[in-house]
Amino acid sequence: MKEIRIGVYVCWCGTNIAKMVDVEDVAREIETLDNVVISRDYKYMCSDPGQDLVINDIKKHRLNRVVVSACSPRIHELTFRKALDNAGLNPYMFEMANIREHVSWVHTSREEATKKAKSLVAAAINRVQWHESLDKRSVKINPATLIIGGGISGISAALEIADAGKQVYLVEKSGNLGGYAARINLTSPYMYSSSQMINPKIEKVLNHPNIKVFLDTQVEEVSGYVGNFETKVNGNGKITNLEFGNIILAIGLKTFDPSGIENYQYGKLPDIVTSLEFEDILNSGEIKKKDGVEPQNIAIIHCVGSRNDNYHEYCSRLCCKNGLKYANQIRSALPGSNIYEIYADMRAIGKGCEELYSITSRKDIMFLMFDQKNGIPEIRKAPEKEPCSMLIEMDEKLSGERVEIPADLVILMVAKEAHPEAKKLGQTVGISMCGNQFFIERHPKLDPVATTTDGVYVVGSCQAPKDMPDSVAQARAAAARILATINKGEVEVEVTTAVVNEDICCGCQTCINVCPYTAISFNEEKSISSVNEVLCKGCGTCGSTCPTGAIKAQHFTDQQILSQINGLLSKTLELKEV
Amino acid sequence: MAQRVDPTFMKSLEKFGVKDWKDCFHCGNCTASCPLTEEDYQFPRMVIRQAQMGLKDKLKSNLDLWMCYFCGDCTKTCPREANPCEIMRSIRRFQISAYDWTGLSKKFFTSTTWELSFIIGIGVIVLALFALFLPPSPELWTNPALFLNEQGGVMINNMVESISGPQFVKIIEYGDWTMAVVVGGLLISNILNMFYLTLLKDKSLHIPFTAYFTEFWKLIFHFSTQDKLRKCDDKSYWVGHVLLMTGYTIMFVIIVGLLPKFQIEEIVPWYNWQRLLGYYATIGILVFLIPVVIGRFKKKKCKLKHSHPTDWHFIIMLGLTAISGILVHIFRITGMPIATYISYVLHLAILVPMIMIEVPFSKWSHLAYRPFAIYFAALKKAGVEKEKVEPTPAFA
Repeated sequence: MKEIRIGVYVCWCGTNIAKMVDVEDVAREIETLDNVVISRDYKYMCSDPGQDLVINDIKKHRLNRVVVSACSPRIHELTFRKALDNAGLNPYMFEMANIREHVSWVHTSREEATKKAKSLVAAAINRVQWHESLDKRSVKINPATLIIGGGISGISAALEIADAGKQVYLVEKSGNLGGYAARINLTSPYMYSSSQMINPKIEKVLNHPNIKVFLDTQVEEVSGYVGNFETKVNGNGKITNLEFGNIILAIGLKTFDPSGIENYQYGKLPDIVTSLEFEDILNSGEIKKKDGVEPQNIAIIHCVGSRNDNYHEYCSRLCCKNGLKYANQIRSALPGSNIYEIYADMRAIGKGCEELYSITSRKDIMFLMFDQKNGIPEIRKAPEKEPCSMLIEMDEKLSGERVEIPADLVILMVAKEAHPEAKKLGQTVGISMCGNQFFIERHPKLDPVATTTDGVYVVGSCQAPKDMPDSVAQARAAAARILATINKGEVEVEVTTAVVNEDICCGCQTCINVCPYTAISFNEEKSISSVNEVLCKGCGTCGSTCPTGAIKAQHFTDQQILSQINGLLSKTLELKEV
Repeated sequence: MAQRVDPTFMKSLEKFGVKDWKDCFHCGNCTASCPLTEEDYQFPRMVIRQAQMGLKDKLKSNLDLWMCYFCGDCTKTCPREANPCEIMRSIRRFQISAYDWTGLSKKFFTSTTWELSFIIGIGVIVLALFALFLPPSPELWTNPALFLNEQGGVMINNMVESISGPQFVKIIEYGDWTMAVVVGGLLISNILNMFYLTLLKDKSLHIPFTAYFTEFWKLIFHFSTQDKLRKCDDKSYWVGHVLLMTGYTIMFVIIVGLLPKFQIEEIVPWYNWQRLLGYYATIGILVFLIPVVIGRFKKKKCKLKHSHPTDWHFIIMLGLTAISGILVHIFRITGMPIATYISYVLHLAILVPMIMIEVPFSKWSHLAYRPFAIYFAALKKAGVEKEKVEPTPAFA
C-alpha cells in the first residue's frame, strides 16, 4: 500500500466554532497522530483562500487524504470534494468531521466541546485511511419524454418540450385533452375565459409534429431508469411500447363527493350543486334552478370536505377564490339576487385574489363565518309558506348568533382530493405519496418538481391542489429540467453504490427482497445477484442483510465504518484517562 | 332560536347615514382601540356585524350602542376606512326611530323635507299665535319711551297690547308648561318603549326589583357628568358636552320653572344671579356650538366629517335660538322696544319647534336615551347575574 499522507484542516467558522472549541489545540494535538502530515486551523475553510490552502498543501506535501473539520457535510462536502478534484486528487479521498452542528452549537462547556471535537476528528482520520478512489459514471439519455395526464399541466409541459424539438408521448386516460381547465367557465381572479385559453393549446398539442397523443389510454407498467425508461400503454386493448428518458406525472386531482356529509343534503334536495356542477350551469349560459326558475337566494358554502378533521385536514387552496368568483358572476347575471358566502376562513391566496375578495366584499354580498369545530351549517327544506326552497342554519362565528339563511340554490365548494389512480401509478413508476395520497416531491422547498426517483417529475395538482398559474409554472419548470438533462446528453449517476463480490455471493437472493429501489436482479447464468448501478442509491440495506458479506456499499464499507468507530473510541478513551 | 338574516337591511340603513359598511371585514381593531368598550358591552364591531347580517330585533334591543359616546377613536384605527363611529351613530338613528312609536323619528331621519316642514310649520304656528292673540302694542311705534323703565331698558312684559305685566309672563309660562308636558310625555313614552324593546321583551330576563333603585344613580350621574366621554382621547369633547348639558339644563329650569323671576321688567345689575345664570348657559351653548360648526365645515375630525341633515338642523336651530336670545337681551338693555318685540317673537318661533322636534324625535333625544341606556344596561346586568347564581348544594 502506498504511504498514507493526511492533511487535517480545522475550521473556526468565524466565531461559530472557535468560541466553543479551542481549534488551535485540536489542530495541534491531531498533528501528533499517525499518518497526519499537516494539521492547520483557519478562519473560514470554505472561503476561496481556505480551499486554496488545501489545494496548495496537496501539491506541496503530496497529501493523498484530506480531513476537514468544520460544519455539516450536507453544506460543504461537495465544496471540498471539488477542491480535491482541482488539486488532482480523487474527490472521495476526503472526509468531513462536523464540529459545528454536532459540537460548538450544542455544547456549553468549552473544555468538553474541545475534547469531543478531537474525538470526531480522530474518527475521521481513521476512516479516511480506508477510503478508495471512486470514479464518476454517467448514462446516456433517451431524448423522448412520457407525460401522463393531458390537463393544463401536462399540456404545458408537452408544448414546452416539443417546441424545443424533443419527442413527447402524451398519455390521457379520457377521450379529451384539457382536464378540469376545459370544463370551468371563467378563471379567478381576473375572469379570463378558461376555454378561450385552453382550446388553442389543445389544438396545438394535437397538431404538433413532436407530440404523440394517446387518448383513452392507460399506462400499464414502467421499467428502466433515468435516461432509459420503457413502458407499455394500453389504449382500449391496443398495446404500444414506448421508450423515453424522463417521465412527467400530471394526473391532476378529483373533486370531493359531498353526499357523505349529512348536513349538506347533497343529492337529497334538488338545488344543491357542487362547485364543479355549478361550472356546468355557468357554461349553459344562464343561472337557473332545476325547475327552470331563476334563484333569488344563492348560498355558497366553503370548505366542504376541506380543513375538517372528519374529511380532509388540508386546505384545498382553490375554493375560496372560486367561491368569490361565483359571487361576482352571480351578481352580474342576477343583480337583484341575495348572495351569501358561508365560509370558515377566507383564504383567497395568490396574486390578485385578495383584491378579488376586496372587490367582492363590496358588492352587497353577505359573508357569514362558521367554525368547523362548532359544527358545519345545516341545510333543510323550507316549509311551504317560506318564499325560499331551503333554509341553512348555522352558528355565525363573528356575531355569536345562531342564524338561518334562506336559499334557493346552494353551491358546495367541494374539496380537492388526490386522483384515485395516483397510488397505483405511484407504485408503477416507483415514487411515494404523502398521507393524503398526493405525490411527494424530492424537497418541499428546494426541489418541488423532481421526485426521489431520478427522471420522474410531478407537476400540477397530483402533487397538491394547485391553481392554473402554479400548475403551469411547475409543468414548465419540469420541462426545463428535462430539457437541460437531454441537452447534456447524459446524466451522472451515484457512485457510492453497492457492488457484489461474485466470488463470495451464494445466490441466496436475500438482497433482492430488501432493495427499496429494485436495483438488484438475479443473474441466473452465474447464479449470483447483480446490482444495477444506475438504479442503486447506495442506501446499504443489502450490505447489512447479506449473510456472506458479499455485497459492499462503496464508500461505506465495513472497514471504513469500523475504523471510524475505533478512532472515535480510542481518542475518547485516551482523553478520559487524561 | 335561529334568527333570519336580512341582506337588504344595510341598504335600508343607508338612509340613516350609514355609508362605508361594506368595507368592514371584522378585524376588531375598532373594539380593541375603543376606550369605552368593556367586557359586557362590545362595540363597534359586534354592532356592525349584527347590522351587516340584518338582525333587526337584535339591534333594537341592543344597549351597547349607547355606551358609545362617539369620540371617533375607532375610525382612526380602522384599516379599511369603514368609519365605524359613523356607522354606530347611524345605527343609533335607526334605534331612535325604533323607540319612537309615532313613526315621526323615522320620517325625520330619512327625509329632510319632513323634518324641515315640521320645524317651519311649528315656527309659523308660533308666529300666528302671536299675531292673533299677542300682537304688539301700536304705541311701540308712536311712543316708544312709554315702554322704557328707569334704567332705560325695555319693559319686556308690557309690549303686547291686550295684556301686560305678570299676566303676560303667566301666559308665556303656561305655554312653556304645555310644551314641557307634550315634549316630556312623548319622550317618556319613547323611553318606555325603549325599556320594552331592550329589557321587557326578553322574557328570559328577570330583573331584581331592588336593582331599579340601586342602579338609579347611574342615570343621574351619567346625565349630569357625561362621565364616559372623559375616556376619549380628545378631552375637549367632554368639556364641550358638559358645558352644553349644564347650559341647556339651566335654560330649561329658567324657562319652565322660574320664568316670572327671570323675565322681569327692571334691568338687574350684571352680577345678579338671573343674569349670571343666563350668561353661563349662553356661553356654555356657544362654546360647544362654535367649534362644532367650524369642525363640520372643515371636515377634519373624523367625528365631524360626515354630517347628516339632522345634524345641521339641530346645530342651526340651536345657534339661531342662542343668537335670537342674545339679541332680545341686547335690544332690551339698550332700550329698543320694537326690536325687542320682534326678536322675542322670533326667538320663540325658533325655540319651540326646536324643542318639539329635536327632543322627543330627532337628534337631541340622545340626551335622554344615553343615560337611560346606561341605567337599563345596569338593570340587564343585574338580571343576567341573578340568572347566573348557582344553586347551593344541600350538603355544603
